[in-house]
Amino acid sequence: MREITLSQAVNEALAEEMRRDERVFIIGEDVAEAGTPFKVLAGLVEEFGTGRVVDTPIAEPGFMGIAVGAAMTGTRPVVDLMFGDFIYLIMDQLCNQAAKTHYMSGGKLNVPLVLRTNLGATRRSAAQHSQSLQALVAHIPGLKVAMPSSAYEAKGLMKTAIRDDNPVVIFEDKLMYQDKAPVPEEEYLIPFGEANIKREGTDITLIGTSSMVQVAEKAAEILTREGIEAEVIDPRTIVPLDEATLLKSVRKTSRAIVIDEGHQSYGVTAEIASRINEKAFYHLDAPVLRMGAMDVPVPFSPALEDVTVPTPEGVAENARRLMSGEMIHAA
Amino acid sequence: MAKTKTNTEDYLQMYRQMVRIRTFEDNANKLYLDAKMPGLTHMYSGEEAVAVGICEALKVTDKITSTHRGHGHCVAKGAAFKEMFCELLGKEEGYCRGKGGSMHIADQSNGNLGANAIVGGSMGIATGSAFTAKMLGTDDVTVCFFGDGATAQGLLYEVMNMAALWKLPVIYACENNGYSEYTRTEEIAAGSITARAEAFGIEAHQVDGQDVLAVNTLTQKLVARARKGEGPFFLELMTYRYHGHHVGDINREYYRTKDEEKDWKENRDPIIRFRGWLVSEGIASEDEIEAMNAEVRQDAEQAVDYALNAKYPDVSEVDMHVYSDIKHALA
Amino acid sequence: MPHDVTMPQLGMAQDAGKIVSWLKAPGDPVAEGDALFEVETDKATMEVEAQAAGFLSGVTAAAGEDVPVGQVIARITEEAEDDSAPPEPSAPSAPSAPQSSGGDDLPEGIEVTMPQLGMAQDSGLLVAWHKSPGDAVQADDVLFEVETDKSTMEVPAGADGYLAATLAEAGEDVPVGNAVAVISAEAPSNPVTRSAAAAKAPAPKAEPEQAAKPTEPETRQKPASKPAPKTAPAVSANGRILASPKARKMALDQGLDLNRLVEAGHPQPYHVADLEVLKSLPTKSAQTNAVQTRHLTAEIPADGFADFARWAADTAGLSDQNALLAGLAAACLPTGTGTVRVEALGQSHSYAVMPGPLSTIQPAEPDRPADLILRDLRFSRITSVHLGAEPAPVLTLARNGDALAITLECAGDHLTASDALTLLSEFAGRMEQPLRHLL
Repeated sequence: MREITLSQAVNEALAEEMRRDERVFIIGEDVAEAGTPFKVLAGLVEEFGTGRVVDTPIAEPGFMGIAVGAAMTGTRPVVDLMFGDFIYLIMDQLCNQAAKTHYMSGGKLNVPLVLRTNLGATRRSAAQHSQSLQALVAHIPGLKVAMPSSAYEAKGLMKTAIRDDNPVVIFEDKLMYQDKAPVPEEEYLIPFGEANIKREGTDITLIGTSSMVQVAEKAAEILTREGIEAEVIDPRTIVPLDEATLLKSVRKTSRAIVIDEGHQSYGVTAEIASRINEKAFYHLDAPVLRMGAMDVPVPFSPALEDVTVPTPEGVAENARRLMSGEMIHAA
Repeated sequence: MAKTKTNTEDYLQMYRQMVRIRTFEDNANKLYLDAKMPGLTHMYSGEEAVAVGICEALKVTDKITSTHRGHGHCVAKGAAFKEMFCELLGKEEGYCRGKGGSMHIADQSNGNLGANAIVGGSMGIATGSAFTAKMLGTDDVTVCFFGDGATAQGLLYEVMNMAALWKLPVIYACENNGYSEYTRTEEIAAGSITARAEAFGIEAHQVDGQDVLAVNTLTQKLVARARKGEGPFFLELMTYRYHGHHVGDINREYYRTKDEEKDWKENRDPIIRFRGWLVSEGIASEDEIEAMNAEVRQDAEQAVDYALNAKYPDVSEVDMHVYSDIKHALA
Repeated sequence: MPHDVTMPQLGMAQDAGKIVSWLKAPGDPVAEGDALFEVETDKATMEVEAQAAGFLSGVTAAAGEDVPVGQVIARITEEAEDDSAPPEPSAPSAPSAPQSSGGDDLPEGIEVTMPQLGMAQDSGLLVAWHKSPGDAVQADDVLFEVETDKSTMEVPAGADGYLAATLAEAGEDVPVGNAVAVISAEAPSNPVTRSAAAAKAPAPKAEPEQAAKPTEPETRQKPASKPAPKTAPAVSANGRILASPKARKMALDQGLDLNRLVEAGHPQPYHVADLEVLKSLPTKSAQTNAVQTRHLTAEIPADGFADFARWAADTAGLSDQNALLAGLAAACLPTGTGTVRVEALGQSHSYAVMPGPLSTIQPAEPDRPADLILRDLRFSRITSVHLGAEPAPVLTLARNGDALAITLECAGDHLTASDALTLLSEFAGRMEQPLRHLL
């Protein structure tokens, strides 16, 4: 199978959906000729024109609001939010307007909008361009949240998102745009709410989101050399969340670590760990651990930034401690 | 659809719509004072000529966005009393199945994209609606209602900027009623309101908001031009609200005088004024007008009665309409 | 000393708060800082924390009630008091006003009701009428004045016509929504004046002391239900055992007792892997720990054995009294035979007893283990024994004045209960009347 980069995969998904449905359009900063600073959208304006690949001024609340109104009246916008950190700027339009319109109108108005943005630190972009804010939006009823972990997921989830009539937030890891993965030529969609078991194992379940999937896979390779077989699962979407697959795995292994690049406290890991605790309690032979980014703003200096995020060695070390039956208090 | 109406019918329709708004508000106010209405609401009484003058220049597929003071716009755009009262009381037959209430009332089939509880929250939506019209090539126009207080919101300038850049068919209608909640407009809006729009190169007009004919004539011209792609436009309508900011704002002498209220009510009331004009022009007799008033009153009473006795939505609806494709979000 | 819980002032202009729900019930223990109840103000719903620790008691305001700021609504006492259940919420603060439609002796016309003038206000004090019954009124005329928490307000008539009836007098409190006047289209022939007290009043506030069936405040947080005890086996004497949920469940399913790991000194916390250790613990120690000891006593008034022993020696030449004892005892065993070891006066002799005359009793083989031990303490000062189970059942003879106390002790699996009872009662019988044995 051919291998393409995550950037190419997203580009393909958008192009295919825009060909398929003329109501789909892209709006955001530097999306047209520039194809965004990450170059993900290169070539789209040439094919679809500036009427459907719309450059905006630097006005996030403004163009997000416009996208919400456009979605409510018959078009299907894909909003390009250049950095996930800017979600704070658009919170009213995203969480008060887009997320709630279907409900507040008693089901009469839809907002079929996709918010395409990114997450991920270790790029030396410092505190305001390195945040992973998926927990913020997953918390709001009415939004769906997808977190592709490779080019394959990025294309399949994006196509599903565009065809979904609800507002969807997709987070891409900005450090993965040049990473390649096998992606079929034929069309495929990845449904929301279906986790993917990337590696089977019997001793411990490692659940990772976005690039933390690769961190978990590397940890699994370390552990297998020590005789510990880890099962690695990628939930792919955190809203809706495929609980059944996660719980089935934990019942088999009786141990779990949840890894996400949002902050350690009050985040995605806490939610998933909590559900495992509630629904697989009697199958647990060890506490469920959370591993997130350190509860500090992302530092600039490489010496500091790199210790704030979960690593394969860190995951492996926690796995060993759980296997040994050591009395663990906090990860 | 072309429908030849004589001017008489148009005038009588305008009068009737203004009376309907006033009657609706009187009844809603009474429901609040009788402690029969949950929550609060915001009275439009006194501003009828603004909503009616503008909406009578629109067709059904033209869109409007509304504010927290939204009953007037809702009635003016074609809503029925029964469903409106039901919505205010949280009943199942309300326009939003009781899930939106007064501050989020929306009437999608008549082009009302909804009232909004966030000041300025609907400006993006209105501009987006105009974006859709342009992108899909319809000749629909969108009117964005907002108050003088909302000119303090940054979103207004972000969307006016883009509307002007892209020449969107949107009319920004600023209902300047002299007060932003409990503070005089002069104290919260520096400079000139129309000049704000003009700074973006948007043609702006100021008009007496108590003169329904003046409002309607001007709006018709601007709407026709907007359909041809000459938009956006900005209107500042000088008007006055008789009640307080919300129905509980009864003791309000600390921020405006009874004399001022009396002056507007007696000397500048849009309904009394238009009525006088209708009679003096021989378009309708006093008796005919009285009959119309009585009919509207009766219509309202019946609707109130109906709504008071109508059923609430079943509790099982609480988690419906969170997502368009998931019947019960919490199942 | 009991601590008073009062309705706090939560907003600058707020004079009363509406209790949304109680988060603790009377009798609940309360720690300082625990959320006690929720109050709704103009702006939001807020939680009020307990300012003291103790038990919630003496609750006098229920969910749904408006309570003036500063009023005491509960107490926190040092010990739980047996309070009546929280009172029924009083009649809703906005009673539905019966809109009489002209009947009830009232003139026909438009009703003027007591308006709601503040969010938490459910009644208004009618200060003064500005019009008298029979007067003509215009819609904007001031009809009456109302005093609320905050100020005095003028209420307009709201309709043109004639004041045909006033239904409350100056100085009376009228619930919001109740009719206070009727305005008719034509001048009334008999204008009506009434007082609100005389009118059919809506349901008064329930007395706080009148507790109906206890109603649960709506948003009361139920404590997470404790896991059913069936997941844990008997807790060891030292307190709880630390073990993972899976280990506990597997232990329960397999009938394993985690206590044994504790007693074996195995370090906690226990995981699934530790169940293997549990399974490999020696069973003997398990058995002796788990199994019971039987202890039966009997008493006979006089010792018939001494005479019998003399008679047997004289008549039959059986001079070994211990052998005789062994024979009498063994006859009461389930098989009627066995090796009996008799211990007396510091010496021990074992006998093999077969069914048949006592003369056939022989000394037992040297290493043969005893099926029954008989301890003769008649010549000691010991009156009763409680020595625990030994490798074989033990019958002990001791003097208690003139009487003879016979004790049987054995392990649960030496003899069934019924065999133990048979052994002792028959042996006691033979010791009382040994000649019976020969018959």
